[in-house]
Amino acid sequence: MQKKLAWFLQHMRREWQIYVLLAPTIIWFILFLYKPMYGLQIAFKDYSIFRGIAGSPWVGFEHFQTLFESDTFVRALKNTVIISALSMMFGFPMPIILALMFNEILNQTYKKTAQTLVYLPHFISTVIIAGIVVTAFSPSAGIVNTIIGWFGIEPIYFLTKPEWFRPIFIGSGIWQEAGFSSIVFLAAIAGVNPSLYESAVVDGASRWQMMWKITLPSIMPTIIIMLIIRIGNILEIGFELVILLYQPATYQTADVINTFIYRQGLQGGQYDVAAAAGLFNAVVAFVLVMTANTISRRVSRTSLW
Amino acid sequence: MKKLTITALALASTMMTTPVLADGHGSKIVDEPLELTIHMHHKRYTSYDEDWPVEQTAREMTNIHLKNKTFGSNTPQSDEAINLLLASGQLPDIIGTSRIRDVVNQYGPQGAFTPLNDLIEEHAPHMKAYFDSHPDVKSAITSSDGNMYYIPYLPDGKYGRAYFIRYDWVEKLGLEIPNNVDELKTVLEAFRDGDPNGNGKKDEVPYFARQWEELIRLVTLWDGRSSGSDTYHDYYVTDGKLAHPYAGEGYREGIKNLAEWYAEGLIDAEIFTRGSSSREFLLSENMGGMTHDWFASTSGYNRLSADIEGFSFKAFAPPASISGKRIEEHRRIPFKPDGWAMGGTNEHPVETIKYFDFWFSPEGRDLVNFGVEGAQYTLVDGEPQFTQEFLDAGPVNSSLYQIGAQLHARGYFQDYEYEKQWSNEFALEGIALYDEGDYLIDQFLGVSLNADEQKVYDKYNAQLRTYMLERQQAWILGTGDVEADWADYQAQLENRGYSKVLEVMQAAYDRQYN
Repeated sequence: MQKKLAWFLQHMRREWQIYVLLAPTIIWFILFLYKPMYGLQIAFKDYSIFRGIAGSPWVGFEHFQTLFESDTFVRALKNTVIISALSMMFGFPMPIILALMFNEILNQTYKKTAQTLVYLPHFISTVIIAGIVVTAFSPSAGIVNTIIGWFGIEPIYFLTKPEWFRPIFIGSGIWQEAGFSSIVFLAAIAGVNPSLYESAVVDGASRWQMMWKITLPSIMPTIIIMLIIRIGNILEIGFELVILLYQPATYQTADVINTFIYRQGLQGGQYDVAAAAGLFNAVVAFVLVMTANTISRRVSRTSLW
Repeated sequence: MKKLTITALALASTMMTTPVLADGHGSKIVDEPLELTIHMHHKRYTSYDEDWPVEQTAREMTNIHLKNKTFGSNTPQSDEAINLLLASGQLPDIIGTSRIRDVVNQYGPQGAFTPLNDLIEEHAPHMKAYFDSHPDVKSAITSSDGNMYYIPYLPDGKYGRAYFIRYDWVEKLGLEIPNNVDELKTVLEAFRDGDPNGNGKKDEVPYFARQWEELIRLVTLWDGRSSGSDTYHDYYVTDGKLAHPYAGEGYREGIKNLAEWYAEGLIDAEIFTRGSSSREFLLSENMGGMTHDWFASTSGYNRLSADIEGFSFKAFAPPASISGKRIEEHRRIPFKPDGWAMGGTNEHPVETIKYFDFWFSPEGRDLVNFGVEGAQYTLVDGEPQFTQEFLDAGPVNSSLYQIGAQLHARGYFQDYEYEKQWSNEFALEGIALYDEGDYLIDQFLGVSLNADEQKVYDKYNAQLRTYMLERQQAWILGTGDVEADWADYQAQLENRGYSKVLEVMQAAYDRQYN
């Protein structure tokens, strides 16, 4: 025991700088992630703000029962999974493709300009994005209807058509985020050992072959880790954009768990039901991350932990 | 010399306060100045300001000195701020905020707020007089345990929205202002086809609205209802029985016809997404023909006659419905869910209720409605009249907020005269027209649910509304047929708890208003 303590003190004296560097992150975790977990119990309580968390009576799984008895919640759950899966299918490869394309641009000025242009939408606020989308798809003045008008197609009121909501939502999401998300892949590409390319050139490989045989395999660990993180967030849809774009007419395909929580919980002040839905969200996300991580470790030996 | 100045100042200040004392109303509540704490939050003013001229005057008149203890001043969301305040567990003496009604009804019975009934009865003659002459308002703000927990902001003036139409277009097309729903249809068709703006293009939008719910409002022309109060999609009451407007026969008939109007292009094709700027855009582009919107702000668009030849956009009487009834469904509610309440730990309830009552006294009402005498208004024949200088200084209502008058996070009784003095002639003309016809109908003033009823309401109402709105838009847009879907729709409402919600609301209604 004595020995261990002495070792610990000596260790701390030698390495204290590292622990100081670590401290802010740990404090952040405790304050903003572990401490709020205490509040999660309101998902099982009849919560009153005035009585406080400790003073509110327990109700067991009542709120979860309420959720699953509601058709609207079940539909929202289904929509969430569909929208997430589709946006992963179409949205996830885009930044990788973009990063690979940027990597092939030789003219530095041109490359920088192109990169800046695709990063820009990321910095536009969601409200403005929604405004742009509404205007672009407007039946009377929108550019989309103007263009399809040239081919003799009648204007379509896109934003009230349930079948159009998902393509528009996912498309605008890709437009906004693909550029910015490509940064991490560009960084990974920059880290590839240049000697690999040099020897490939000596062996007479084409640029196409180098991309497939060197660049992609080298950044594969990054891709897989990003994918696992993405899977963990599968139930987290940027609901601000959904709220700004959806209409009762499109609830059928557009209503997701977070908008459901917003309407049911926050607008109506039902924090306990909202907390139950949030907890459910988190549990599903946890299971998904665990699964994705395990599969990835077995198959590709890359994993988060 | 210095001493002299101070004496002079002291003299001057006694002279200033003297008239108040001489009035003999005895508006001073306490002899020694008393400090009370206040949380005051509204999206336009997120904290209480001791320097508001109105507050300074009130302090002088009552000797009650309010100290700012507002939570969440950094957010414009009053409901967030009040939740922060409640969660802190330390309530100040006075809590004033927008949307306080639900908060006090929920947490008042738990002890967070002081019940006001007995205090008003014993110590607040002016408020008592108001509630005695307005028993419906008193019932409406009474919580499920029979107590009143807040003093609301009481708007004055009955009229809110009205039907507006381009009088010059109607005249140009050789038609008459429509008197009933069939004539209205004819006029709208003429707007669509007759090129009243004369640009050779078929770009007129016959009926438009800033809020798409105002399209649904038109179901009143087929004897349906769209809402029972000044909030959209609300329950309504007839002969003491509650119902939801979206479950009735008139609504079905109305939606069927509105869907036809929409398909025929009589309604703005983009009504669901054009949003709040549609009135500004369609009127200034000389494209919009008719809407249903607020008297004052909509009348203001007649300034466009400077740019558009003959532009005249005025209110017209509600067209008669298919059964010949002319009603205007929208009106100002007699009381708002905004106002102020007394914290449950207040140690000076009597002084506080007297302070609340001060704002209902004649002096307090002038102060809260018109600002400070001599600065914003002067008395003309004993009635407050804004000074020309103040009227010219800019938008009157925002100037008043800035000096602490007309704050809706305070319980007070508005005086319509304040608004009349700066309303434009077209608005006043329209209001006179509606006054003459007496088109307004009674409103549903809301119910205070007890904890068990609230649970039922919370469980079903949100998803019930989601379903109703979904079907409603689908029918208007033509992706569903209201006639064919109606039986199934009724069954679905039942499945989603319609009669359960109705039952608890009716129980609360009977308790509260009988």
